[in-house]
Amino acid sequence: MISQVVKDLKEGRLDPEEYVERYYDRISKFEKKINSFITLRSKEEVISDVKESIKRGGRLAGVLIGIKDAISTKGIRTTCASKMLEDYVPPFDATVVEKLKREGAVILGKTNMDEFAMGSTTETSYFGPTRNPWDLERTPGGSSGGSGAALAAGFVDLALGTDTGGSIRAPAAFTATFGLKPSYGTVSRYGLVAYANSLEQIGPMSKNAEDLGLLYSIIAGDDPRDATTIPYEVKEVPSEISVNGLKVGVLKDILEASEEPVKGIINRIIDKLSSEGAVVEETKLGYAEYALPAYYIIAMSEASSNLARYDGVRYGYSKYGDGNWKETFSKNRGDGFGLEVKRRIMLGSFILSAGYYDQYYVKALKVRRLIKNSLDQLFAKFDVLVSPTMPILPPKLGEMVDDPVKMYAMDVNTVIANLAAIPALSMPAGFYNNLPVGLQLMGRYLSDTFLVGISMFVEKLTKIYDATAPLQ
Amino acid sequence: MSDLVDKLQRLSLIDLKEEEKERIGRDVQKILQFFNKINELDLSNVEPLFHPISQGKLRKDVAQSSLTQGEALSNVKRKENGFIVGPSTYGD
Repeated sequence: MISQVVKDLKEGRLDPEEYVERYYDRISKFEKKINSFITLRSKEEVISDVKESIKRGGRLAGVLIGIKDAISTKGIRTTCASKMLEDYVPPFDATVVEKLKREGAVILGKTNMDEFAMGSTTETSYFGPTRNPWDLERTPGGSSGGSGAALAAGFVDLALGTDTGGSIRAPAAFTATFGLKPSYGTVSRYGLVAYANSLEQIGPMSKNAEDLGLLYSIIAGDDPRDATTIPYEVKEVPSEISVNGLKVGVLKDILEASEEPVKGIINRIIDKLSSEGAVVEETKLGYAEYALPAYYIIAMSEASSNLARYDGVRYGYSKYGDGNWKETFSKNRGDGFGLEVKRRIMLGSFILSAGYYDQYYVKALKVRRLIKNSLDQLFAKFDVLVSPTMPILPPKLGEMVDDPVKMYAMDVNTVIANLAAIPALSMPAGFYNNLPVGLQLMGRYLSDTFLVGISMFVEKLTKIYDATAPLQ
Repeated sequence: MSDLVDKLQRLSLIDLKEEEKERIGRDVQKILQFFNKINELDLSNVEPLFHPISQGKLRKDVAQSSLTQGEALSNVKRKENGFIVGPSTYGD
């Protein structure tokens, strides 16, 4: 538990150098196999920051954290896992990073991800794929795969991810860690390298439910620099909530579409919830098969507009500059972006072009409305909706990445929460042949701390928390 | 298909390498097919939902601290006397 580490560091029971050394030891032994960091800070610098931070105090005084490389960190290179931003050093901190520093957290490094968060396996990174510490042949999920893998490998105990369509929850599920996609508007996106504004949120990742709640309570809150944040504050760190008497809806259409081993593990948890007094009832989301295409249409459309800024003139990859602006931009973008990013920008530009806007983009937004309406109806009846986080076990490297439609299908359970702006949490549900399976909890808009409270109860039933992969 | 790929390059200002052209053309057609699923639904009476937050917020128009010129230009590759050197804007 992080709260104990903070106390031990403060009261001198834990030596700061020993504390930092412990993580760098594991990193030097295993990072070559995992590749969870794009940029790792020097140990000496980190030790000195930790000592300084313990003196200053704060709720995370001295605690190490990994930050997804899509989040701006002043003076630390922020690449978004792209050749386009290979040498980009932000002159400012994201609001969430400011908040973490204010509470004494110390950045250990920037974690690997799919290029511009476009992927579900952390294989589209310009800096090479991240591997799953539970099985090095397999992916840790994505796009925040570096954060998930670093937690599971024991390189760090806290991390930030970002979630546009499941990018926090997929890695959490595949690495037996905890992740929360917060309610839209509760965490500032100022300083987040934008992919799809109306869908994405920065969120906490951790090894247990208590730490998840603590980290969320620190990063959440209104920000004058992000007009899409709402007046919101987490006043108290979430505490445990019993499922006794809770109305739990099981999303049958989603559960049935999952692989057998995943289904089996989730069904066992549902039985446990039931025997703890939860009122469990099967239900259906409806429109589930339309959510995925609608999500990708919206995400790619927003991406094509957001990524228009990368032209090599103001920052980023800039090999060409002699031709006219059109040639210069086109060449720099052709060289600087990877294949999946090009695919998404091109599709997005196509969808938004004359003649196709109504056929694809507007229709997708209408499906978004239907899904939101359907969830509103479900939450009039249920306190929480449960499903598997991912429909499959962690895939092997190379299994998904070459077939875009197959890769997109991995996100079928997670995109719903992003379309509807509601909170969704993934926590370890069990293991099948040593491969992690994740349970997803979805709740009403702004029920984030409620979901964390339930996960504190559920982790006692599963007894899976603070899990570290047995690397050798 | 090469017409489609040309259009995509033009719309997105991305020059594809020769070996990428066929791949992207094929993938884009396959993905559009996957998108066509939503055309099964009758959506004529549904309002589109553009953004989960129905309205933005305003602040008072007062000056706030921001980056210095040096900081703002710190990632610019080609600059001159505090200005960014851009590509030529006239001629074709």
